[in-house]
Amino acid sequence: MTEIPRATSDASFRASMLAQADAASLAVVADECLAAAPTPRVHFGPDVGTIMLTMREPVEATRFHLGEVLVTRCQVQHRETVAWAMRMGDDRASTLAAAVCDAEVAAAGPAAASVERLVAETRRHLDAERAEEWRELEPTIVAFEEMD
Amino acid sequence: MGYVAAKGGFDAIQAAETLVRRRRIEGRSSWLELDQIVDRLRYSVDRVMGEGGLWDEQLSARAFRQAEGDVIEAAHLIRAHRSTLPRFGYARVVDADEIDVLRRIVPAFREPPGPQLLGRTLDYTGRLLDQTPEDEGRRQAAEAAANRRERVVSTQVSADEPTVDQRVPGRLIDVLRNLDALVDRRRDDDPEPVDISRVAARPGAPRSARLSTMARAETGALVQLWYRNILGPDRNLHEVTLGEVRHGRLPIEVQNPLTGETVPIGSVRVTEVEAIEDLDGVEEDRTRFDVGYGICLGHNERKAIAMANLDVAVDRAAGDGPLEQSVLMTTDGLDASGFLEHLKLPHYVTFRSMMERKTAMREAAGTKRQERLAQGRSDCEVTDVSGDAGAPVEREDVLR
Repeated sequence: MTEIPRATSDASFRASMLAQADAASLAVVADECLAAAPTPRVHFGPDVGTIMLTMREPVEATRFHLGEVLVTRCQVQHRETVAWAMRMGDDRASTLAAAVCDAEVAAAGPAAASVERLVAETRRHLDAERAEEWRELEPTIVAFEEMD
Repeated sequence: MGYVAAKGGFDAIQAAETLVRRRRIEGRSSWLELDQIVDRLRYSVDRVMGEGGLWDEQLSARAFRQAEGDVIEAAHLIRAHRSTLPRFGYARVVDADEIDVLRRIVPAFREPPGPQLLGRTLDYTGRLLDQTPEDEGRRQAAEAAANRRERVVSTQVSADEPTVDQRVPGRLIDVLRNLDALVDRRRDDDPEPVDISRVAARPGAPRSARLSTMARAETGALVQLWYRNILGPDRNLHEVTLGEVRHGRLPIEVQNPLTGETVPIGSVRVTEVEAIEDLDGVEEDRTRFDVGYGICLGHNERKAIAMANLDVAVDRAAGDGPLEQSVLMTTDGLDASGFLEHLKLPHYVTFRSMMERKTAMREAAGTKRQERLAQGRSDCEVTDVSGDAGAPVEREDVLR
């Protein structure tokens, strides 16, 4: 097991947002991607399995396996472009849709703009959820008063 | 009591299984949706994931529903299901410092780096049964859900953004390290962690095996073992203070096989605890503290606290006594419950064999008694070989 380097790029950001996009919206955009394209070739999946979540703990700074996470993965060839997707949970249709959407952008297909809008909307939604979460959490920060 | 081979019960077993399945579906109320279970019974869902060793809230809710609310049975279903799934690989190794907190308290220190964030906790709620009428409860739930949806839609992201220090605060142990008040156990090597789903953890196992074992141990077993060591006869724990208690999210990042780049695909919630132990042993560094670590999937503070305490206790025991064995071999809910529940299966042959031993011993005792009587010696000199001195030998025919 080797440590995976952290990286950020437009492609990995897009894959990340497609992995977390709302399933219903993803299906609509994927249908748009497929509307005027040949049927995509599925290289593998979508299949359900697990990935191991390994942590580095702070006391000895050593690794240990915390547990596994259920995921669905697939790889497709769409518009002559190969794309891969993985989403958490058991959701074959959404994972296939994510891979198709990713390939659509990489191939600069006609529905690429719709995919980019979905990516942007997903980012906005995740940020809004997080902001709303903090709005609820922040009042629970303890403010101590020094007693004379 | 001779042995007679017998078979049967198949029809009864099938009927019992059908009864369970039918009554689970029938019920007297409407179908219980998975989203409801995830949303309303989160502590149970989290326990099932933690003890099942697999993160997926929907799957956990499905198992919990199938098990009719039995957490250990549900965890069993999850582990059985997991064993049928391929493992695609490993997520990027996550550092504990990456936890994005939803709750964080430091009982040991008033002003740690970052906030004392109470978050969503039952710690300060009165233990009074909420008797809101059902119709009123439904109305309140619908109204609250609609309000939340509206807030998320209209939230201005930049307005309330927390600082990094607030969501990913520094650790108390780093403060203690800077004060040179902590035994430094950080290792330079990076041993490969043990995968306890492939290799059974036994005493002498590396610490990674111990942490993994406790992370998916049964909550009650860990709490009981902790309590036994604090107040019971074992006494491997004495003066523990909690450093960090956190509930938060850990990112899940995987490698795209086509690009080699890391792709964040979501997060899992975890509970994390650091327990500070006051070292007082003769051969210990009594000028410093030591720290134990506990973490588990989901929100389960009792479990993480017990785990952190037991982690440092096992280290301090250093192989002396049975604590490590207890942690590694008696805290798994499936192991313990499986062994216990197997007692309900037919043990006819086992018990018949035991009965025959009793009978044989009684017969041996009776023969010896007759011999002694024949030799003119009294009953009180007869050695009781049955171990059951009160049982009259004359009743042995009852057992035949």
